[in-house]
Amino acid sequence: MNSRPARTAARDSGAARSGGARATGGSGVNQPEPEPLALFDDLDAVAPPAPPAPPAPRRSEGRARRPASQSDEPGLSPESAISVAALTLATRDIIEGAVEPLWIRGEVVGLKEHRKGHWYFTLKDASAQIRCVMWATDARRALAAPDEGMTITALGKLTVFAARGELQLRILRIEASGDGLWRKAFEKIHQKLEAEGLFAPERKRLLPMLPTCIAVVTSTDGAALHDVVSVVHRRCPITRVVVAHATVQGDGAAGSIVTALHRVARWGKADVVILGRGGGSREDLWAFNDERVVRATAGMPIPVIAAIGHEVDVTLCDLAADLRAATPSAAAEAAAPRLTDLVRHVRTLGADLRDAALARVGTARERLTAAGVSVARAASHPVERRRLALEGIAGRLHALSPLATLARGYAVLTDGEGAPVTSVASLDPGDAFVARLRDGRIHGRAERTERLGEEVNE
Amino acid sequence: MSFEKKVQRLEEIVRALESKDMSLEKGLKLFEEGIACLRDASTELSKAEAAVQVLRERTDGILEATDLRA
Repeated sequence: MNSRPARTAARDSGAARSGGARATGGSGVNQPEPEPLALFDDLDAVAPPAPPAPPAPRRSEGRARRPASQSDEPGLSPESAISVAALTLATRDIIEGAVEPLWIRGEVVGLKEHRKGHWYFTLKDASAQIRCVMWATDARRALAAPDEGMTITALGKLTVFAARGELQLRILRIEASGDGLWRKAFEKIHQKLEAEGLFAPERKRLLPMLPTCIAVVTSTDGAALHDVVSVVHRRCPITRVVVAHATVQGDGAAGSIVTALHRVARWGKADVVILGRGGGSREDLWAFNDERVVRATAGMPIPVIAAIGHEVDVTLCDLAADLRAATPSAAAEAAAPRLTDLVRHVRTLGADLRDAALARVGTARERLTAAGVSVARAASHPVERRRLALEGIAGRLHALSPLATLARGYAVLTDGEGAPVTSVASLDPGDAFVARLRDGRIHGRAERTERLGEEVNE
Repeated sequence: MSFEKKVQRLEEIVRALESKDMSLEKGLKLFEEGIACLRDASTELSKAEAAVQVLRERTDGILEATDLRA
């Protein structure tokens, strides 16, 4: 933007124009001349090429020739008449110096976007209007250009557009009034990414049954991390939790989240990622609607669970993720299975396997019998192979049963009634017991019992 | 093979063994495989408790996970 260097130059060359100096500078009493260069600032609003600097007002020459008097003050006599530029500049300085940036609410009319990204429009209400300019650098930070007729709340610095002699508001920020701008920005990105298929249901992946490692992209200072960690630890303590820190709100949040997601992807050891933060205002959560963040979410090589706030509308990251959870805790519950459930499931499968194998053996035996074949007589026959297979399978079933443990030299004790003896308290001295071993039983009686670390009971 | 794959395979094996039309030899092979899956899956479920770590990028660009409170 041309206006920036011009203004800086003016500030550097002039005698340190503080706010106060500006306010009085316009009155032209004992202050240095307003810098003509500063005029470029306004001219730029219409046409980027800056015109040559207007000649400096002659005031100072006159003052140098004659002693100062009331009638010599600029503009107080026909001789000391001032230029239009000097007047508008002085007016601008007075206005700029006297009025701090203000929040103004009004309806947007006639918005034009300059090819360089500046916005020109008028803010009006029932009885008044004011011309506005939003420079590209400021406009870029706005969510979206306001629509015709949209009511906005804007922070603006009052100034004078010298080239037209108009009062002008330089808009620094636009807040979305009645959430029109938010929705507009949201819908713009939503439409674009939806057209690319980023939110398509067929893109959604299933979560792993038992994640080895859950990555969490969030702030290491936030409550979200704590919630995730405690839920995962409670449900599935063998699952590793690795956090990739990201700033989740404010300036730079979007870039930070994208970096953290990429880090997780590049690391490659996590098998699911939770992207989240606790609740927040729409403004707090806006980074999760940023196109870069949404794209990074959709592009993750592992399933993503989004857990972003829960008080406001859905974010685009929620839509791009494989699963949306209301809170970080809910995301952790979705990601981490209950370990006890898995253990039970595997045990059940083991039992099913055993039953199915036994049934198989049973069937094979029936077939052999039905065929009326004597196994001993058919040693050279394929049937013999079946017999060997039967023995083999029996051996493997054996490995699953407590009998295998006995074979290794252990014994199982039962009391006189056949109930298992698992504690010294189960027997009193003199009680009968049965020890079951690999090849038979031993019947005996307890002589005395000793609990570990306790006195002998006789 | 992931835990999930092992469990899925185990389920397949059980279903296959439960269906009647299969040679005993094939059944035996499946059973063996099932036992192996079962053992692996159980081992995975009895791993040690895992710690919480932070994924950091070193100055040389290498990513490493270090304990959170370290």
